[in-house]
Amino acid sequence: MTKLSKTLSLAVLMALSLPFAAFADSIKIGFNAPLTGFAAADGNSARVGAELAVEQVNSAGGIGGKQIELVIYDDQASPKESAPLAVKLITQDNVAAGISGSYSGATRAAATIYQENSVPYISAYAVHPDITRAGDYVFRTSFVGEVQGRAGAKLIGEMMGHKRVVMITLNNDFGKSLANGFREKAADFSIEIVNEYEYSIKDREFGAIVSKTKSDEPDAIYASGYFFTAGPLVRQLRAAGIEMPVIGQEGYDSQKFIEIAGPDAEGVIITTSLDRDSADAVTQEFISGFEAKAGYPSDMVAASAHTAVLVMADALARAADDSAAALREAIAGASVMASTGQISFNALGEVQKDVQIQIVKDGNWRHYAVISDTDLLAPPAE
Amino acid sequence: MLAIELVIQGIVQGAIYALIALGLVLVYGLLRILHVAHAALYTLGAYIGVIIVNQGGHIIVATAVAMVAVGFVGVGIYRFAYKPLLDKPPLIALIASIGLFIAAEEIYRIIFGAYGMSFVQPPLQQQIELFKGFHLSTARISVVFLSILFIGVLAWLAASTRTGIAWRATVSDAGMAASFGVNIEKVRFINFFIGSALAALAGVMVALLNNLVEPTMGAVPAYKALAIIVLGGLGSVRGTLVASIALGIIESFGTIYLGHIMDRDAIAFTFLIIVLMIRPQGLLTRR
Repeated sequence: MTKLSKTLSLAVLMALSLPFAAFADSIKIGFNAPLTGFAAADGNSARVGAELAVEQVNSAGGIGGKQIELVIYDDQASPKESAPLAVKLITQDNVAAGISGSYSGATRAAATIYQENSVPYISAYAVHPDITRAGDYVFRTSFVGEVQGRAGAKLIGEMMGHKRVVMITLNNDFGKSLANGFREKAADFSIEIVNEYEYSIKDREFGAIVSKTKSDEPDAIYASGYFFTAGPLVRQLRAAGIEMPVIGQEGYDSQKFIEIAGPDAEGVIITTSLDRDSADAVTQEFISGFEAKAGYPSDMVAASAHTAVLVMADALARAADDSAAALREAIAGASVMASTGQISFNALGEVQKDVQIQIVKDGNWRHYAVISDTDLLAPPAE
Repeated sequence: MLAIELVIQGIVQGAIYALIALGLVLVYGLLRILHVAHAALYTLGAYIGVIIVNQGGHIIVATAVAMVAVGFVGVGIYRFAYKPLLDKPPLIALIASIGLFIAAEEIYRIIFGAYGMSFVQPPLQQQIELFKGFHLSTARISVVFLSILFIGVLAWLAASTRTGIAWRATVSDAGMAASFGVNIEKVRFINFFIGSALAALAGVMVALLNNLVEPTMGAVPAYKALAIIVLGGLGSVRGTLVASIALGIIESFGTIYLGHIMDRDAIAFTFLIIVLMIRPQGLLTRR
């Protein structure tokens, strides 16, 4: 072989290997979230939270010298979108793992596909109990609704000492599972459920429920919902002269709730994952980093997506080899301090962590209490 | 006492439905087009209202500007979207309308943000005690008052002015009206202007009640207003008004007593189905 042809073949080889080299330099993680449509606000917050975590991991040197790269797709919170996107992420983008920054419907559909392909998948904040039942490759870093509902019962019945409660329940998987958890433990904390009213996620007008709640004369109101339903609800309750405490959950957990409900938000208490007043450095870095990056204060979905990425990055760093099975093992054995607290998983892949109680004070979410009762908060294990 | 409160809450909701459905029934009466994009104008009105108030404008100024601006946008939709399609089957215009509606939602999201908007200092929030223990905010009372006012003015316009007579003539037979010298194009412009302005008014009112304006807030009115005009007997203004209030009250009671079986929309559409089974021509229309 002449010297020239040697040089040429070397050049060709190098050119051929370039794309592979680029591939090997980064680890791809699939990320589906609703970036358009009705859930776009949550989807975009989750995206920023996830991107922030990736930046933090990469600037700290990445995973064994490799950078993490998010491959982000818009699933419009719809299973019709998330299922084909999961196939695309796995087969074409060749992601090492996936994270859902989306709602339950979309996450369930994608989880099945990740499981079938034996690629690890973490649900950041979707609550449906069946998500982790897709199989052993699927994990969840947020509470299932039932766990938070039980925490709500303890908060109202024991910690706040209110006994007559009206429930206002959002009639989707989120609200229903919260209500189930609450009802399950209500008697243990000697709570009497005076009445329960249901509304749909499209409702913003609660005139009738407000009037009826007032005539029920409860000691407290346990209302499930998201900031865009809870904001108008709290405002309308207070406008009708209803002064009793309103207890919500992580769906409220956004500065936007306080903006919508205005001064009426003061004193509203929620069970959630993010403690704004946490002394923990990871949480504080997340809170300040998110506000700098997004231009508005952090919320629960952003913290959850941030947590899911950190858990994944930690597992990638600890995995015995590059195989999906090793990564799954590493996630299952996680013990990570993340922005939503100390994270570990049970046998089903459900998170075990404390429930944070936050209260609105002077127009901001503030620490109120924390519930660490492991029996009360035990997630489903099968 | 509770029953009276629920009726009043139903009337407030019904008044909002009426303001939105009126524009829809006006357009349907005139052009036989199901104007789905009408609900996007309602959203636009709400955004304009909130933005002007947050910039320091008075709520009355904000409402007026929203109504006039959205009125012109409505005329623009007729001129540029529906007019070129008038000689096509009505289905084509319906598809165009749905397309416009979806596009509008995404445009609002891109321009105004996905999180929605709220009043920084919401106006008209004083509480008035109607009777013992029953408080209504000024905003709620304004909704009912303004609906009656504007619908009353509209009824007077239609009954007693030349424009009103020209409008009614065009609705019953456009060709005949034209041959009598009625400027049909002008009638259509006025029709779209008034209908759209009322939708904008409804939008500002809802913004006051909920303190939240979202890109997708038109989604529910888009189909519920269609149900209402069917309920009222397609094309009947009086039927639409009665249907709006009836639906508001039925939803109000339904949310409390049937809420655990079906949600508000299911209640509304069950009512629609029952009425159509008994009176296929609508609530008030004679066969």
